[in-house]
Formats: sequence, structure tokens, C-alpha cells
Amino acid sequence: MTIPFTSADWNALVPIAIVAVAALLVLVVDLFVRGYAPRYVSIGIGLIGGIAAGVVVAGQFGHNYNAFFGGFMTGGFTSVFEEIVLLALLGSLILYGAIGTPDRVAGTTALMLWSTCGAMLMAGAANLMTIFLGLELLSLSLYCLCGMVDRKTAREAALKYLILSSTATGFMLYGMALLFGATGSVMLADFVNPALASSALFWMGGGMFLIGLAFKLSLVPFHTWAPDVYEGAPLPVTAFMSVATKAATLAVFARFLYAALPSGAAEKLLLPMWIVAGISMIVGNAGMLAQHDLKRLLAYSGIAQAGYILTAMAGGSALGLRYAMFYLTAYTFMNLGAFAVAAVISNDGEQGSRLTSYEGLAHRRPLLATAMTIFLLALAGLPPTAGFLGKILILSSSVSAGYDWMAALLIAGTAISLYAYGKTIFAMYARPRHEPHDPKPCAPLAWASVVICAVAVIAMTFYPLTPSNILPLVK
Amino acid sequence: MPVAIGNYIALSSVMFFIGVAGVLLRRNPLVMLMSIELMFNAANLLFMAFARAWLANAGQVFAFLVITVAAAEAAIGLAIVVTTFRSEKNVDVDEIRLLRG
Repeated sequence: MTIPFTSADWNALVPIAIVAVAALLVLVVDLFVRGYAPRYVSIGIGLIGGIAAGVVVAGQFGHNYNAFFGGFMTGGFTSVFEEIVLLALLGSLILYGAIGTPDRVAGTTALMLWSTCGAMLMAGAANLMTIFLGLELLSLSLYCLCGMVDRKTAREAALKYLILSSTATGFMLYGMALLFGATGSVMLADFVNPALASSALFWMGGGMFLIGLAFKLSLVPFHTWAPDVYEGAPLPVTAFMSVATKAATLAVFARFLYAALPSGAAEKLLLPMWIVAGISMIVGNAGMLAQHDLKRLLAYSGIAQAGYILTAMAGGSALGLRYAMFYLTAYTFMNLGAFAVAAVISNDGEQGSRLTSYEGLAHRRPLLATAMTIFLLALAGLPPTAGFLGKILILSSSVSAGYDWMAALLIAGTAISLYAYGKTIFAMYARPRHEPHDPKPCAPLAWASVVICAVAVIAMTFYPLTPSNILPLVK
Repeated sequence: MPVAIGNYIALSSVMFFIGVAGVLLRRNPLVMLMSIELMFNAANLLFMAFARAWLANAGQVFAFLVITVAAAEAAIGLAIVVTTFRSEKNVDVDEIRLLRG
């Protein structure tokens, strides 16, 4: 008797396996390398693994495989989300190489690689079991990563994240059990059955499943963990978490929305999700006004950004999903870039997260201030950055899907956010502060990621203006 | 003796809400972790009951998966709680509040 193992299974497995094996390699090699080298060896292996997986995933664009009896889909939007997660991995590994503490490099690198595996698994999951496994691999690694530095706030962040996130996972798991009860199947593809629209188990299960997703996306009633955890966690971990968790959860949500809902039920079941996204755009942006710490500022910004991306998906059009992926890619670059600036400003990354250390930055380090301005403008959604184009695309898709009120909330949220971002930019240029020039050499690796992110944020503005993307704007 | 599926659903939802209440009301991180385990096990019970009702093996496999993952989660959770206790000498989450949302 043989067990079928198709090329589709192989294709699905390879990128994730590369990352997982790289993590094991990091740990094993660390046993044999001593002295000052481990830092660069571990991060080097991690970077090579991430790039190799990225190349393999890039080769899968446009090819749709249905692997492991439908439990995992490759190609399609899976590839895009996997690339975004890998991008977050590379960016945060570089930041870690630039500012991380040297004593726990191997463990941190391995955990980052493993949580990437979890996020990639979620990106392609088409089966409740795969979703759960990916989610737990991502989250469990992140709990550890939060507590990987010897700091009181880091330990507190780890504990808070552990308790709150596990509770949300509990809700999601119970929702999955109810969904299984409604259908007798764990495959998302089996949820399309229109008879389910009248099943109470399905409605309860779907609702609890969505509560779990909303928590992971830090949407508004479930957002309070995000600022605390972002502030307490080490800077590279925050950078990774802010992008990878969002990307992976959005992939699951997209799969649920686009491939797994009975036609009549979708609008009613998802309406609370859209409302929550709308409130997030207002509350997230309003929350930024009171912050004095860059990480907290970006946490509240991330709450709003998750709302923007969901706005693109509202209505469930294929174009909306493309716009959501465009905005998520742009968000990856602007967010990683902003964190990289914080890493350049101070070698430990902690001092650089206080907003007061940006006062008069333009007079001390004009180039860095320019880069930070680009990232903040992009987060605010102003031209000439990818954030502006992304927001225009999101608005067009939500209006054409009939969700005008979400578009209105998006504009209102953006207006609020302009004040918060503008305040930071103003402080960089207008307040000269005669501090002694920081004599510490800034890490060249962190500089490199600042430059790459800034170029990407500008360049993405010009990339997708093809007729097929412009046309819906005109209509 | 046939038992209606509703009984299993009722028992598991009671377990689940005891777990939720534990997380919300108790202030000791260890008890909160135990309550989370209770939530996971409520889901497990439901998976097993539905697996039998539908004669679908996927539910049983899922329950084993959850047990394994919950073990990993407990290990990591206890490690985090122990490191916190070592530094804080404190077992009340209300007292751990350097960071405020």
C-alpha cells in the first residue's frame, strides 16, 4: 500500500520546510561556534533561509496547487502573503542583527524562523486544523520572543500576550468545534453549502471564529493588548509581530471570506466584522494622539491600518483582495522602515522608541529625518507615497462594493491621524534641540533597511498603475 | 443508552464559560492558565461528540492535535509565569502594570 505524495504536496511543503530547517540549523551551529561570531552566523543562516524560501515562493506565483487533500493551498494569494511574512522576517532579522543583545541570538533567530513557519502555514491553510496549527506555532513563538530580553516590561508584555492571546485562541477553537459540528468537516471548502445558512451551530461557530481573528488583528473591542505588548517587546520582535501576525490573520480571513461562506450568509455574518473594522479606524487613530512612545504610536496606527485593509475586502470582490494585498505590502515597508529608524537612533532600540528623541532630528540627522518623514507620510496616506495610492484603491473598492459608510469612516480616521503623524513630523523639523551629537556609530545594517524601505515606499506608488487597476477608479 | 448530542453541547458550553469566567475573574496567572486549558478542553469535548455524531474521524484527530498544542502552550506559559514570579515576587496580575493600554 502506498501513500500518495504529489508534486503539489511537495510544492506546498518546500518553502515552509526551508525556514523550519534553517531554524534547526541555527540552533545546531550555535553549539559549535564560539566567540563573537555566533551573532552573525545565526542571523546569516536565518537570512539565507528566508531568502531561499522567498525565491521558492516567488516561483509559485500564478500556479495554484491544492496540497494535502485540500488542507493547504499554494499559489494564488497564498504566495503573496507568504512573501509578505518572509519580508517581515528578513527586515526584523536585520534589525536584530543591528541592535540585538548578543547572548540570545541563536534562540531568538530560531524562534523568529519558527513563527514565520506558523504564519506561512496560516497563509495557505484551507482546513481548520492547519489554521489552528499555524496560529499556535506563530503565537507560541511570539510569546517567547516577547520575553527574550531581561527587562521588566518585556516579561510583563510576554505574560499579557500569553494570557490574552490564549483566551482568544480558546474562543477561536471553540468556534472551530462548532463549525465542525455544523458541517461534519474541517475543510473550509465544505462551508460553502447553502443549507448551513440556517444552522445555529454554524452562526455561533462562525461568530466565535471571527472573534478570534479580530483579536489577532487587534480590532477595537479586542485591541487593548496591542499597545502594551508592542511597547514591552524588543524592537525587532515588535517590527516582526506587527506585520506577520496581521498578514497571516488576514490570509485566514480572506480564505474564510472568499472561499468558505454559504452565499446567503456571508453578508450577515460578516457585517459585525466590518462595523468593528470601521470603529477600529476611528479609535486606533484617536488613540495615537495621546502617545509618547513610537512603539505605542505604531501599535495604535496598526489597529487603524488593520481596519483599512478590511475596508478593502468589504463586499468580497476579487479586486478588493488585490488592493488589500497591495496596501499590506506597502504597510510592511512603511512599518519596518519606521522601526528601522528607531533602531538607527539608538543602538538598543529602547531609547529610540521615545518620541522625545525625535525632537530636532532634522537638525542632527537630516537624512534619517527625511526617511522617517516618508514613513510617517505613508502611514498617514499622503502623496507621494504608497500609502496614498493604497488608500485611494481601498476607497474605490469599498465604494464600488456599496460600503460607502466604511469609506467615510476611513476618511474620518485619516483626518484624525494626520494630527498625530503631523505632530511627530513637526517635532522633528521645528524644534531644534541642542543635544550633543550622538557619537555612537549607527549600525550599517539598520541604515540599509531604512534606505530599502524608503525606496520601496516611494517606488510602489508608481508600480501598479496598469489599466486594469485604474479602470475601476474611473467608473 | 443513547445520549442526545444537545447534552454534550450543554456540558461543553458550561465548561467553556467556567473557563472564560476564570480568566476574567481570577487574578493569579496560574489559575488563568488553567482556565484557558479548560476552554481548550471544552472544545475538545465538542470535537469528540461531533466526531461520533457525524462518524467523521477528523474531529478525533483535531482533539489530539489540540491536546499536543495545549501541552506546548502550558510549557511556555509556565516558563513565562515562573520568570515573572522570580523577578516580581508577586502573583497578582493587578499588581503587574508597568504598561497600560
